[in-house]
Amino acid sequence: MSFLQLSSIQKSFGPVQVVHDFNMAIDKGEFISFLGPSGCGKTTILRMIAGFETPSAGSITINGADQTDLKPNQRNIGMVFQAYALFPNMTVFDNVAFGLKVAGKPKAEIEARVKEMLALIHLEHLADRFPYQMSGGQQQRVALARALAPKPQVLLLDEPLSALDAKIRVSLREEIRAIQRQLGITTVFVTHDQEEALSISDRIVVMNAGRADQIGTPSEIYNTPKTRFVASFVGTLNLIEAKVKDPAANRVEIAGQEMVIRDSLSTLKGGERVALALRPEAASLNAGSRTDTSIPGEVISSSFLGSVVRTRLKVGESTISFDMFNDPGLTPPAHGETVNLHFAARDLLVIRD
Amino acid sequence: MKLQKVWAWLAILIGAAYFILPLIATFEFSLRMRRGEYSFDAYRSVFADSQFRDSFSYSILMAVLTILFGVLLIVPTAYWVRLRLPQFRPVVEFVTLMPLVIPAIVIVFGYLRLYNSSSIIPFTGSARGTDLLLMFSFMTLSLPYMYRSVDTAMRTIDVNTLTEAAQSLGAPWRTILFRCIFPNVLSGVLSGAFITFAIVIGEFTMPSLLNRPAFGPYLQLIGANRAYEPPALAIIAFAITWASIGILQFASRFNKARPPKP
Repeated sequence: MSFLQLSSIQKSFGPVQVVHDFNMAIDKGEFISFLGPSGCGKTTILRMIAGFETPSAGSITINGADQTDLKPNQRNIGMVFQAYALFPNMTVFDNVAFGLKVAGKPKAEIEARVKEMLALIHLEHLADRFPYQMSGGQQQRVALARALAPKPQVLLLDEPLSALDAKIRVSLREEIRAIQRQLGITTVFVTHDQEEALSISDRIVVMNAGRADQIGTPSEIYNTPKTRFVASFVGTLNLIEAKVKDPAANRVEIAGQEMVIRDSLSTLKGGERVALALRPEAASLNAGSRTDTSIPGEVISSSFLGSVVRTRLKVGESTISFDMFNDPGLTPPAHGETVNLHFAARDLLVIRD
Repeated sequence: MKLQKVWAWLAILIGAAYFILPLIATFEFSLRMRRGEYSFDAYRSVFADSQFRDSFSYSILMAVLTILFGVLLIVPTAYWVRLRLPQFRPVVEFVTLMPLVIPAIVIVFGYLRLYNSSSIIPFTGSARGTDLLLMFSFMTLSLPYMYRSVDTAMRTIDVNTLTEAAQSLGAPWRTILFRCIFPNVLSGVLSGAFITFAIVIGEFTMPSLLNRPAFGPYLQLIGANRAYEPPALAIIAFAITWASIGILQFASRFNKARPPKP
């Protein structure tokens, strides 16, 4: 049986339904990320788990116990907020000790637990500081320690890295993941940053307009997106217009060239249009052992992105981007030049709306 | 020195003179009770008057109670309006502004009509009841200042997120209000308290018409019958009020935390 169970959750604010019949089972110790654009309902689901919003329908259980109608302070759920939310009038020590004091723990136990938590986030030396005396990254680590101190059943992270600069964001997300693994705590993480979600999650829920478009491992979400939205939201994706030639044989035509793809086309008819997705890193200017297809295209632009050079080609009616590793010895194709793009036809994915 | 700086200093000097010169003149006059020489006779006379001690201590007690009950009423109200009823903020602001629009004498006559000894709530039927009514009337008079001070302080903290953070850590409402919110709006509470203190010490209309032995009516009584004691009283009242404000400010220094920038 799953540890955190969300069953048929719905939420409406007045006439607007923001979450539609959401179901999910989360195992103990799992790290789940809710990924999606603003307004997709991911934070609303998190807030319903925390108890700050009441579902319009459905139920939430943790370890078999129904939490749906419990108040937030009765749920034993730790939460880390985007804006840190440290109590400005309290020192780091007092902030971390707050939940333990509220629970009426003995003084010695509080002291030991706070020290343990501060050691976990490597901030023992800042115990006497006030929040305003610390950097954003330090404050968020304290917020994490504060949320973990009372040993919550579930840890909720509401875009905890959004307010931090890029470098701190990367180091802190790794730290969060390491702490989560160390403690084995079931964690739900909300983010709109696909890289964050892909890098630290056991599973990702891609939310779109109040619904889960796809739930899967980072690899599944990235490599086999189920919908056009997932494909376009996670990573950069080429959407190529193709014509179905032989549905039974999964044969399609792109820019006058026929090829056989891996996905089934049995639900489509011959001559029908279909959108195929191709990741930029799956295509190359050079034929390789994996590639089996080559189509010509006209170079629209080449952008230097540091470690890679991204080139855009016009192929038939579609525009395809592909990445090449930066090599100072190679000159990127020039604008207007016609080149052959090589890829494996099995990397083309059928995208359904 | 730049011309702009000169003008700034000139403005400060004119402002200071406007406030300080009358005070110096009042102080100087209060020392002239003895003919031909300066003395503190007027002060001795004031301090020797038991009515002064009684009225002043009565007003100070009233001020402390008004501040205490005012804080207990206004901090939770401002907090709840910000947290749960933001749509009612204009209504609450309007209500708190009413004491500035309605003169104190109108309010007190309303009180006398509503709470006289033959009414359902006969506050004026006893001395203690009238004291209570007077305290409520002081709370009403200080409402516009106290509410705004607290509300402004509350604007500098993220009330919603702090509340949710405390809730997720298991805190009940009482703990959230008194341990997480109140200490962070203390500067606003103190500002409101200073103004409330000054209002209560100097208020004449309310205690006079409710017939309570406050400092305002005493000041008026002395001013009408004596020459040198009233300025001495004014200086004493200033000194005690400033000392009280100083003590409050000193106490506020223990609140070490700086609220986050809005």
